[in-house]
Amino acid sequence: MAEEVATDALKPMSDIQIAQTRAFIGGLEEGSTPYWDAVEIGDELARELTLTPELVVLYADGVEDFNSWYEGWTMNGWRAEGSSPFGSAIVPPLLVSHFVLAVQFDHTKPFSIGSIHTFHESEIIAPIPVGTTVEIRTRAIDKYEKRGRRYVRHEIEVTDVAGGTLYFRELRDIMSL
Amino acid sequence: METSRSYPRGTRSGDWVTADTPVGYELQSLKKKAAVQLMGSRLWGRFNPNHWDPVYAAKTGLKAPIQTGEMSSAYLAEMCVNHFGEHFFTGARFSCKYVAATLANEVISTHGIITAKQENADEVRFTVDLWAQNEAGEKKTVGTLDVAVPRGKGAA
Repeated sequence: MAEEVATDALKPMSDIQIAQTRAFIGGLEEGSTPYWDAVEIGDELARELTLTPELVVLYADGVEDFNSWYEGWTMNGWRAEGSSPFGSAIVPPLLVSHFVLAVQFDHTKPFSIGSIHTFHESEIIAPIPVGTTVEIRTRAIDKYEKRGRRYVRHEIEVTDVAGGTLYFRELRDIMSL
Repeated sequence: METSRSYPRGTRSGDWVTADTPVGYELQSLKKKAAVQLMGSRLWGRFNPNHWDPVYAAKTGLKAPIQTGEMSSAYLAEMCVNHFGEHFFTGARFSCKYVAATLANEVISTHGIITAKQENADEVRFTVDLWAQNEAGEKKTVGTLDVAVPRGKGAA
């Protein structure tokens, strides 16, 4: 018989924290469909995202990257221009890649939990200043099966909403349940 | 200590890849712990309980919650920025394939080795093999970097 796993197996939690966690996950599971079924080849989605100083430091803190080039916000000074080799603060090179999933998974539908990102090939074309509003545009270009697993492939472009500068391109695969 | 605006503060001149850096040069590893509190933060994996909840992860057949692949990619990119500095932001090609899951509490190290150089008139284009592995040496993420360093571009 398989050993039962506890919600607090990896970090200390009280009963109320455990109950809140289970309620949150119950909500995620409601209405979720496999990603494979949610995407058709040719589907194109786009959203705009303002890369605020606070968003950038939240991203960088999560991966413990404390390069000062990304700091358009500090605890003592709050918002500031910051400094990088390109002038003011810039966003970490793969930050926009992380946010692609919030575009390619249509945010107006329940999230397809259980999907796994397996591959990306990224082209970092130009530095993105902190504070820029970008458009992330995704196109589903293929659905394929390999060794019994189902994959959806997208191509992505990230551009400056104000000036049209192309900052970033990517090809990426998601494995669907 | 010699400093340069072109590279992150605290890196040393010996860490900076220049046009003269040879094939075989090894990038310096970073070490990161896959802490479940970071894996499950709102900006990272909160949207998918496979990234932070041991109960949900077990239900989907995983031994433990797994990091989002993008966290490994960010670790590898940080290592690349340490060595290629500002050049990583202007025309670099960077790929990652997540060949095995990074499990909660694993300690991940990043690695890179220059495998080829293409000598052009104004720049040298480097090819770098990249990977991230756990403490047992099991590779979790493999990738490549293609990046150009201008000739004669000294430390600014």
